[in-house]
Amino acid sequence: MKKNFVWYGVFFAIAIIYPHFVDPSWVDIGTTFALYSVVALSQDIVLGKAGMFDMGHATFFGIGAYTAAILNTTYNIPIMYTIPIAIALSALFGIIISWPIIHLRGDYLLVATIGFNIIFYQALQNNVFGLTGGPNGIFGIGTPVIFGINIASQKAIYYFAWFILLITMLIIYNIDKSKLGRAFHYLRESEVAAESFGVNKRFYKVLAFALGAGLASLAGVIFAVQYAAVSPQTFNFTQSVLFFTIVIVGGPSSIPGILLGTFVMFVVPQFFREFATARYFVFGIAMILTMILRPQGICPARFGKLPKYIFKES
Amino acid sequence: MEIFLQQIVNGLAIGSIYALVAIGYTMVYGVMKLINFAHGDLVALAAYVGLTVLMQAFGMHITNLWAIILMFVITALFISLCGVVLERLAYRPLRKAPRLSAVVSALGASLAIENGIMLIWGPNIKVFPSNVFPNMRWHISGVVINSTQIAILLLSVILMLALYIFINKTKIGTAIRATAIDQDAAKLMGINVNGIIIAIFALGSFLGSIGGLFIGIYYRELYFQMGWIYGLNAFIAAIIGGIGNIPGAMLGGMLLGIFNVLIAGYVSNSWSEALTFVLLIIILIIKPTGILGERVAEKV
Amino acid sequence: MKLKNLLWVVVSLVFVFVSSSAFAAGVIKIGVQAPITGSFANEGQGIDNAVKMLVAQQNAKGGLLGKKLEVVTCDDEGTAVGGAICARKLVNNGVVAVIGSYSSTPTESAEPIYARAGVLQTSDATADSLTKHGYWTFFRNSCPNSAEATFTADFLVKDKHFKRIVVLSDYSSYSTDLADATIAALKKIGGNVIYYGKIQAGSQNFTPILTKIKSMNPDVIYFCGYYTDGGLIRAQEVSLGIKAAFVGGDSNDNPEFFKLAGKASNGVYMINVPRPDILPYPLAKEFLKDYQARYHMMPPSIWTLFNADGLRAIMYAIEKTKTTDTKKLAAFLHNLKDFPGITGPITFTKDGERAGSRFMAYEIYNNNQYKVVYKED
Repeated sequence: MKKNFVWYGVFFAIAIIYPHFVDPSWVDIGTTFALYSVVALSQDIVLGKAGMFDMGHATFFGIGAYTAAILNTTYNIPIMYTIPIAIALSALFGIIISWPIIHLRGDYLLVATIGFNIIFYQALQNNVFGLTGGPNGIFGIGTPVIFGINIASQKAIYYFAWFILLITMLIIYNIDKSKLGRAFHYLRESEVAAESFGVNKRFYKVLAFALGAGLASLAGVIFAVQYAAVSPQTFNFTQSVLFFTIVIVGGPSSIPGILLGTFVMFVVPQFFREFATARYFVFGIAMILTMILRPQGICPARFGKLPKYIFKES
Repeated sequence: MEIFLQQIVNGLAIGSIYALVAIGYTMVYGVMKLINFAHGDLVALAAYVGLTVLMQAFGMHITNLWAIILMFVITALFISLCGVVLERLAYRPLRKAPRLSAVVSALGASLAIENGIMLIWGPNIKVFPSNVFPNMRWHISGVVINSTQIAILLLSVILMLALYIFINKTKIGTAIRATAIDQDAAKLMGINVNGIIIAIFALGSFLGSIGGLFIGIYYRELYFQMGWIYGLNAFIAAIIGGIGNIPGAMLGGMLLGIFNVLIAGYVSNSWSEALTFVLLIIILIIKPTGILGERVAEKV
Repeated sequence: MKLKNLLWVVVSLVFVFVSSSAFAAGVIKIGVQAPITGSFANEGQGIDNAVKMLVAQQNAKGGLLGKKLEVVTCDDEGTAVGGAICARKLVNNGVVAVIGSYSSTPTESAEPIYARAGVLQTSDATADSLTKHGYWTFFRNSCPNSAEATFTADFLVKDKHFKRIVVLSDYSSYSTDLADATIAALKKIGGNVIYYGKIQAGSQNFTPILTKIKSMNPDVIYFCGYYTDGGLIRAQEVSLGIKAAFVGGDSNDNPEFFKLAGKASNGVYMINVPRPDILPYPLAKEFLKDYQARYHMMPPSIWTLFNADGLRAIMYAIEKTKTTDTKKLAAFLHNLKDFPGITGPITFTKDGERAGSRFMAYEIYNNNQYKVVYKED
């Protein structure tokens, strides 16, 4: 256990000195890396830990971002106050969306979550209630002010995002060690056995969605701050596919796996921006190869934490 | 009333295309429980390949009829081959792997094929020549039907009937159905499961390629991202009809086509995609097995 | 596992340091920020191609101020994230000006970054907000929707006297903004808009909405989206037997439109800035000819031409002011009047807006021939 802490310590130490050594475009990438990692970790709660096939997670990311955007630009609410509202709203949506579909078998749940994502996306594009700004999105989002300090500079937002990542990692770590984590684990292993233990299947499954939604939306708020703008494209089905792939490629239910997954799926393509048109072709092939070579994910969870669907279906 | 009928006619044409594509999804899912996300992109590839063959044939001054036949035959064979190769490269190594890994592999394949199309044919749109099928229009009590729609509908129905007979009345078809029910038991019965899987990929891709050619002939506009949209819609159609169920895919395709046009025409074009998914979610909640589908409840 | 972790960290740091090295002086760098991949790939690649071609042509003439021009391209994938990342990259790379982006979202997310760094930016994006922030570095190279809207309204009502107008747009910000502006302009002069609908670009199947429109008996359908959909809409409109005229906004004007619409192209009205072959400037014809020769295809749309003009204006500014000091260049550009462009004379206002280009309405005959039917002075 201690060994892991040392590695995390090194990881964060590098993260802290990072922005002072690289040029601004890489600082942006570093900030977004942290935020995408938070979303991927939140998706992992649903997909990796609780074993529910969720391919529409960008919806919750988007709810957070748009809530902050709308409240801040239309109603002039300071960003820090939008954070709890965004989290609560997103968690509420998580409950509402998952409640009717929670009993569905794997692939059907997958398709239902895709459906909700697409409905969300169309609502944004159609400028529902005149609030969402249509395909242009919303611009001019403000910055958070904590104790009088305005977190506005690029580096400040970077540190704030990494702080959020740290908190998320602590939350996930605590979930794993707690009754909640065990409940998720048992549900994933065998719903029937878990219910006979007294684990309320419906309650915990919906709770997993609510937690995943809330965390994703927290990342969404900071994302909106980082780019000072939100638009429907950032929260469409393709984004959901990205987060889904991060969890599976990195290694479900494993924090280092998810971080590695985000690095591979988001940061690595940035190195190859110069290779223009063939980039995504190569990337697609790389995805196939990665899964063939490491089907459990690049850095899967240790024994005891591996999700059941990872094993051969008998 | 005539507007309604007109919409139905339009819906049936697009519905047949969805049906052809949906069969590919449903066959693969039925046997391997895998959502082949790359299927839609193979359909798009078929349209592009078909166009290239057609233009080549015209360039070599081959007469219209033969050029069209050539286009269908070459494209169908090529795409069936692509489907088999896809299975061999992207899915077979993952047979023993976690289910979701195969999904990611499928997504990767989809991305690769889509961008491969862009690299080969360029990012600009491509236009099919008009009048590939002779174009005649009939006005029947205010409803306009054109011959291309009739041709597509007829050909699709013939193909689907052929498939139905194949699946239900031939030995290979029975083998496919057996493998879909239980792969291990099928092996014990002496069925070559690998061969069956190759067959379903070839067959599904074959039908999908015909669908792709119809898209080219009917809509005439090709762009490299179109696989995604048709794939998603066809997948919804397969689910509505009952995934794993071939007649279900056909029915689902037709219904989806009609539903799409009715929503777009009567309710609102701006929300038609969202409403299609609302329908899907309602069906999933009420009858997740789909209209003709199998039981999905987990036995305790 | 431990070693692998360390390796990842080291490898990424090395990559980062390597890619952050900037280049030596002696060149003038021009940046391109465009969606090279993603749903607008054709437009993005078109912009990149046009810029590279113009730069190569300028270099063949000896470059500018005795230095060679160099193009640095960044793929923003058409997203806000990509836009900001590209902006920082290009600024870091020491570019003097950036052509980009194609659509409003990545343009707007990049704008403040360029403004703070004093890098000039020119884009064809149409969102009104782009010129409202007061960034001295930004120059819109496309004609603002408001000008096209008032012209269109005048054409539809004052010239053609259409009584039942249907407006169709897609979901892009360009199209919806143009539709809104045109409807407002129509209302102002008493035009009767009986329906405003949106189509999903690329959905190809427009028969449902067209069938619905048929029942409303319009006398004209005005479509302000792209030719990729416009051509099909026109073809399907005719095959459904709808008797309304078809008027296309400037993004419909493209040779592919006629391929898609086939015979139905005849009688279509197009609204656009003066066509290159009507302009007396050889530059315009030459541009298209050179592009076709170099890339074996036509530019994907008129937006490529707008961006090409943006670059040309900037190169002209560098040539005339004999400096790459962007403050001086901006001042020059803000005072630029009637500089000959591929898309018409270029004039910038003090807000960086492109001032009134003259629009014209054309009628199509013989499947792809144009004749001017309406213009204003």
